[in-house]
Amino acid sequence: LNRADGSAQFSAGNTSVVSGIYGPVEAKVYEEKLDRAVVEVKFRPDIGAPTTKDKWMESAIRNTFEREILAHLHPRTLVQIVIQLREGDGSVDSAAINATSLALVDAGIPLKCMITAATCAVLSDDTTVVDPTQEEIDAARSTHTFAFASGSSTGPLYVDSRGDFTMDEYNHCYDLCALATERVLAFMRTAIEGKVTKEAKISAA
Amino acid sequence: MASVKIVLPGDIIDTRREEDTTQQESNVEDEAAVIRLGPGLVQSSEAVSAVTAGVLHSNSETNRWWVAGNKRRYVAAVGEPVVGVVVARHGEGYRVDIGSAHDALLPHLAFEGATKRNKPNLAVGTVVYGRVVVANSVMDPEIECYNSNTGKSEGYGELSEGFMFKCSLGLARRLIDTKAPVLAALGNGVPFEVAVGVNGRVWVNAGSVATTILVANAIRNSEYLDAKQCRQMVKELLEKQ
Repeated sequence: LNRADGSAQFSAGNTSVVSGIYGPVEAKVYEEKLDRAVVEVKFRPDIGAPTTKDKWMESAIRNTFEREILAHLHPRTLVQIVIQLREGDGSVDSAAINATSLALVDAGIPLKCMITAATCAVLSDDTTVVDPTQEEIDAARSTHTFAFASGSSTGPLYVDSRGDFTMDEYNHCYDLCALATERVLAFMRTAIEGKVTKEAKISAA
Repeated sequence: MASVKIVLPGDIIDTRREEDTTQQESNVEDEAAVIRLGPGLVQSSEAVSAVTAGVLHSNSETNRWWVAGNKRRYVAAVGEPVVGVVVARHGEGYRVDIGSAHDALLPHLAFEGATKRNKPNLAVGTVVYGRVVVANSVMDPEIECYNSNTGKSEGYGELSEGFMFKCSLGLARRLIDTKAPVLAALGNGVPFEVAVGVNGRVWVNAGSVATTILVANAIRNSEYLDAKQCRQMVKELLEKQ
């Protein structure tokens, strides 16, 4: 994105999400916080106008990132995260979280850690699928999305579980998602290293 | 620095170096060395962790560590040269847009040789080249258009005519180094003036509008080009003229 301070696109299967970051910019006087930056999230669906589901997603993503952005370094400012869903085929919330993580890094906004997310679905035949498609989610008995902080041994930053499930199924999904997010983190690290190396080479040349 | 270390937010940094481990037995004072953290690093309890992504740098003499990464949104820091646009006049000074979250304050008297009776009268929209004097997270930044220690303008002040455009912070830093290949290549071809602000804003003035636009385009194009490609790009632009 040309005009954004930072941007990233994250795709998993057919699901593709673009995240744009604007900030730290001046916050409106009635919105600003005196000791920290305000984090605002806008989520736009692929088709149609935003609905309450999208508003819920905005609030969920804001809660996840608000604690990890070092907002106290930029009081009285606004960090605006704009997420556009380009194509949705299940696991949209984890793709949105991953795209936003990368975009915040691109914008140079200070973060306590990288946040990576993965979605898992328990199907009617008791198998579990990571990164389910929309079809799999519609047929599943329960779906779970977890987001973890990189390098942290504390629990997940974001948990969304829907459907009927047992604690065993929940724990199994938790473990699967924890493994999946590690792989996502490795992928992000490679992507960021590629970009930084390219920039560093040009500076050194 | 043998290998380039790229860090991500959340990475714990090991600030001990190979030389330290051998010295620790012989020189006990070195064990409690003070480590100075620059941009991109914070201290979390006992450890140092990165908060932005970029290349990890360290200076062994001053024991300073920092992360160098490129971004587009400027955060003001004291002592940096910036190019700004006057957006308002107030009683105590001008409000200047330098690209940071809040506009900077430029006092009326912060110019060479300015007194209460004799001070410059800048219109809204004037481009100025200044130096950041006050910059912290809780206050609006302040700039001055002269060196307050010597009283001389040293190149700061109003920039008349010409054209100002925006670029990334990384490109701006590279341009400040006067050996920047694109500026050297352009200098061989056309006469021009340039003022580079580390806030990602560059002001260019050449003889004619066409030449000014040419210089501006050449600088913008050089973002991802290395020295050789820069020279080639400038050559092609000058030929087309």
